[in-house]
Amino acid sequence: MLEQFTSIGIFIFVGLGFAVSSLLVAWIVRPKRPNPLKMSTYECGLETRGRTWIQFKVSYFLYALVFLVFDVEVVFLIPWAVEFLKLPWIAFIEMFIFIGILVVGLWYVWKEGALEWK
Amino acid sequence: MLKMLSNAWLIPIPPAVAFVLIVLVTKRFKLLSALLAIFAITLSFIYSIGILLEVLSQGITMNNPVEYSVNWLSLGGETIRPLLIEAGVLIDPLTSVMLVVVTLVALLVEIYSLGYMKGDPGFSVFFGYLSFFVMSMLGLVLANNYFMMFIFWELVGLCSYLLIGFYFHKHSAAKASKKAFITNRWGDFGFMLGIFSLFLIFGTFNFNDLAEAIGRQHGAFLIIPALLVLAGPIAKSAQFPLHVWLPDAMEGPTPVSALIHAATMVAAGVYLIARGYILFTGLEAVSFAIAYIGGFTALFAAIIAVVQFDIKRIIAFSTVSQLGYMVMALGVGSLSAGIFHLTTHAFFKALLFLAAGSVIHAAHTQNIFEMGGLSKSMKITTWSFIVGALSLSGIFPLAGFWSKDEILLVTLEKGFTGLYIIGSLVAFLTAFYVFRLVFVVFFGKKKTRAYESPLSMTVPLMVLAFLSITSGFAGAPFVEKGFSSFIYFQEPHHVQVNFLIMIGSTVLALGGIALAWAVYVKKLIDPVLVTDRARSLYVVVYNKFYIDEIYHWLFYRIMMNIGKAFNWNDRHVVDGIFDGIAGLTRAAGAKLRLVHTGNLQNYALVIFASVVIIVIWMAVPVLGGIQ
Amino acid sequence: MIAGIDFSLLTVEIFTAALGLGLLIINLIVPGNQRSATGYLTVLGLLGILLVTLSYEGVEKTFMDGMYIIDPFATFFKRLFLVAAILVTISSLPFVKKLGYNEGDFFSLLVFATLGMMVLVSAGELITLYLGLELMTISFYILVSFKKKDAKSCEAGIKYIILSAMSSALLLYGLSLVYGLTKTTIIEQIASTLAAGTMQPLMALGIIFLLAGFGFKISLVPFHMWAPDVYEGAPTPITAFLAVASKAAALAAFVRIFLIGFPAYQEYWITLVIVLSVLTMVLGNLVAIPQTNIKRLLAYSSISQAGYLLLGIVAFSSMGIGAILFFSIIYVFTNVGAFMVVVALSTSTGSHKIEDYSGLYRRAPLLAVVMLFCLLSLAGLPPLAGFVGKLYLFIAVIEKGYIWLALLAVLMSMVSVYYYLLVVKVMFLKEPPQNSGIIKVPNGLQIAMVFSLILIIVLGIYPKPLSDLAMSVAHTFFPFSF
Repeated sequence: MLEQFTSIGIFIFVGLGFAVSSLLVAWIVRPKRPNPLKMSTYECGLETRGRTWIQFKVSYFLYALVFLVFDVEVVFLIPWAVEFLKLPWIAFIEMFIFIGILVVGLWYVWKEGALEWK
Repeated sequence: MLKMLSNAWLIPIPPAVAFVLIVLVTKRFKLLSALLAIFAITLSFIYSIGILLEVLSQGITMNNPVEYSVNWLSLGGETIRPLLIEAGVLIDPLTSVMLVVVTLVALLVEIYSLGYMKGDPGFSVFFGYLSFFVMSMLGLVLANNYFMMFIFWELVGLCSYLLIGFYFHKHSAAKASKKAFITNRWGDFGFMLGIFSLFLIFGTFNFNDLAEAIGRQHGAFLIIPALLVLAGPIAKSAQFPLHVWLPDAMEGPTPVSALIHAATMVAAGVYLIARGYILFTGLEAVSFAIAYIGGFTALFAAIIAVVQFDIKRIIAFSTVSQLGYMVMALGVGSLSAGIFHLTTHAFFKALLFLAAGSVIHAAHTQNIFEMGGLSKSMKITTWSFIVGALSLSGIFPLAGFWSKDEILLVTLEKGFTGLYIIGSLVAFLTAFYVFRLVFVVFFGKKKTRAYESPLSMTVPLMVLAFLSITSGFAGAPFVEKGFSSFIYFQEPHHVQVNFLIMIGSTVLALGGIALAWAVYVKKLIDPVLVTDRARSLYVVVYNKFYIDEIYHWLFYRIMMNIGKAFNWNDRHVVDGIFDGIAGLTRAAGAKLRLVHTGNLQNYALVIFASVVIIVIWMAVPVLGGIQ
Repeated sequence: MIAGIDFSLLTVEIFTAALGLGLLIINLIVPGNQRSATGYLTVLGLLGILLVTLSYEGVEKTFMDGMYIIDPFATFFKRLFLVAAILVTISSLPFVKKLGYNEGDFFSLLVFATLGMMVLVSAGELITLYLGLELMTISFYILVSFKKKDAKSCEAGIKYIILSAMSSALLLYGLSLVYGLTKTTIIEQIASTLAAGTMQPLMALGIIFLLAGFGFKISLVPFHMWAPDVYEGAPTPITAFLAVASKAAALAAFVRIFLIGFPAYQEYWITLVIVLSVLTMVLGNLVAIPQTNIKRLLAYSSISQAGYLLLGIVAFSSMGIGAILFFSIIYVFTNVGAFMVVVALSTSTGSHKIEDYSGLYRRAPLLAVVMLFCLLSLAGLPPLAGFVGKLYLFIAVIEKGYIWLALLAVLMSMVSVYYYLLVVKVMFLKEPPQNSGIIKVPNGLQIAMVFSLILIIVLGIYPKPLSDLAMSVAHTFFPFSF
């Protein structure tokens, strides 16, 4: 049934069309009054100096990861806290196991020195 | 105590372990290796005795054997014929007797080798090989199906190759081992085709299942499988026309000759015929062929033995001749007589070989005319050799007398008068050639200085001499419940004692001895004169009827040319094709390797492109995509 | 206890997780210079868990309404992973000792990767499956690039992360398409939803994406490109683990999804699987020939072995599944055995070049013999275990009438004999280099090697017990032989 693939075709077409048309509409309706400041790369930031392909300090990522982990913890903790009274006692233990695992993780991160900015 | 029987698979284990240990661990410690091998075979021997006693006390007969097996491999389903191969043991009186014979002779030979092989650089390896051989032989005897048997059959062949070529630096030994291997290959090939064709017809390898199936439908269609299977025994038991390897096999160390080429391995062929007896007995033509091959071989080899002068060669031809007797007995329809002779022969032939080894050990030559008068310095060897010779000649009341007599009796009783006459003639010749050997080597003028061999060699001789005298009583006609009511086919067959035959064969044997005495001791007849008179005949016989030369000619002229043609074809056509393919393969490999650029983006691209190609393929109906 | 949830079913997984965490904690407590002992602890722990799996004999239950399945099939693979993990742990002891940093992390990650595989084979539901897959893969990212000062190891790690992420994306896309069309993520329900309808194009797209995603993990041609580079760069024990356990895990999940989830569309995807299998066998074996690095050679050989394994799926019968199970176990011992030799040699010589194996038989007979038997078993020569494994696979496809496929597989096995024997030739016939001494092999590694060697030989001569087990497991898992 080749015609059944038309749905996929339409899907792709509409997807592409949406992206192109929104750009197109923006291009048509927007006012075009360029000046040097507006043409600069970072309109609202600082000019980069030197090469942009530099090594980033890995600690950025480590921080981000640790942050993410505890972010996810909150995602689990909130529904648990809301329904806390209706849940059986095992749910209480389970959450402590979960937090315990995260604590081990934090301990590990700490001990490995990932929290220190060197 | 059925446990004992169900664990019979343990019997080959000690020698197998000994082999592994010797080769891997104890190779450097000579005495330890030897003792290890002897200890292992002793264990097997004791267990075998246990099995024999168990078989006797349990009342296990040929018709209700016990069988223990596990499925070794099972395959198949709807479209493929189910293939089931078992690993198991079959125990009946035949097995139990064979086990005892093999382990006992092997034990004695190994003890003997302690002395005989002393100082040999390959001492440890020799014992390792012997252990490996015993393991294979025991496996062969215990197997409950043709497939297992074939595996061990091949292992036995391999051991024989290794042991014949033990002195591989000697050109003749290397050649002999090759000859043995190649000759046996012919038989093995037939045997293999035979068991496969049996499998195709009946769908099983198991002896009992096959026996049952053959019992139900027996007919001329089995002639070809039967003949193919028969090819195995003909080669392994050195029957005409595949007997040529056995005399040459004497290049191996003498204990090997005793163990393999007299007592056990060559018996494997006879054992195989006995195992699959139902296959042959129903086919008159095949039985007939077996009987006449055996009879002919017996006579043929005996004639050759008369003119040889290498001590081991004489005994070797005597082995061929005696094997002919056994095969003849099986052919005329007496399992009991054949196996009985196998048993007694194992003892007295091992004895003869070991005694011959003792002589060679002392005299440092194998030419009997270079020896002489050894009886004075080597008492034990002499006497045990004479016991063996008497037994071989079939002199009352030694073991050989009873078994040979039974064969002759059976032959006559079944109406094979021609074979009976041949058998009697062989008996005469046997007595003559063996006592020719005795008189020349042990009596007469002293030609070499010789000393009695060490105790480790003489004790086995004495034990074997004892057995050569006594083992025959197990099957003597006056013994009730004797050998023939223990090992038989379908129902025990008791031969009527025929004193006429007994006396006849004894007279013939004595006549042979007397002739030998007359010629070689009293010098009443000058052998040189006789040979001069019949020069051409002598030359023909001495050269073993030129069978070797015929084979040589066949081999070099015809086989080699065919081989050369194939070789040319192989080198130019087949190799060309395959080299081409291989080259192409290599080139393809080398080219395909370049796809791996190591570049990450390329890899990602390949993955995506593949997905896209598959999607397109599945999307387009013409290419067999989704309908 | 929450009704309907029997946590005892998860004992193995819980223990494994506890072991992983415990190792991490021990690593934090124990001072740096004593941490290499964690390796022994890992072996003990894994052995203990292996014992626990024995109590799961014949258990066939589901957890949380089919989200998680404990059946003989899953248990069989869990045992396989544990055995592989034990062997790999033993063979990584010398490596970790030499490493000198993060010893505990290494073993902890190894255990977590094993846990991921367990979840993967037990998952009865697509999201759990994906979770297991990622747990396994992420652990492997780190393990692959564990030699952080070695450029090759880092390169391998990066390549693995990026390509694996890409394949995960494909897989996820496939999963979401399947979910979108069936409104369920539970595999059993997918099957019942699909049973009625005809093939929809979007479904085909989903199946293709799934195939590509799994094909990446199993390293099927043309999704195999990462494998040689990653195998070469990764620490050798990890390469072994990657080549054996992760492949088996992905294959098991693949089998579960396709055979249980999409039997309705078998005629479509089997064609695809045949094509991939042919490509994998042909390419894997051909490209292995010109390799000069033993790890790359083994990488290509393991690619080609994956091609043989696919034959079991092509057969689409319990015999085929049984053959896969049997072959997988054999494959653990042969391949890990071969890699153990590589480990032993590289810790003493530091080289992975095949030419540096010259005269190995003189320098280290045990290594040479183990390597010989492993390679011959991989090549499928009787009477070794690999032969029996291949035999079962070939018979399974022949039963379905794909005789040409079996012939091709046999042909490619012959090609493989060629390059395996090249290594053997170097080991046994070439003279050892001048200043080479005897190679010392740690005891633990020796025991593991001899153990593998014995199994390779014994299972080749007497395969019955294992094949019976595999066939019965396969029969309960997939009781169809049509």
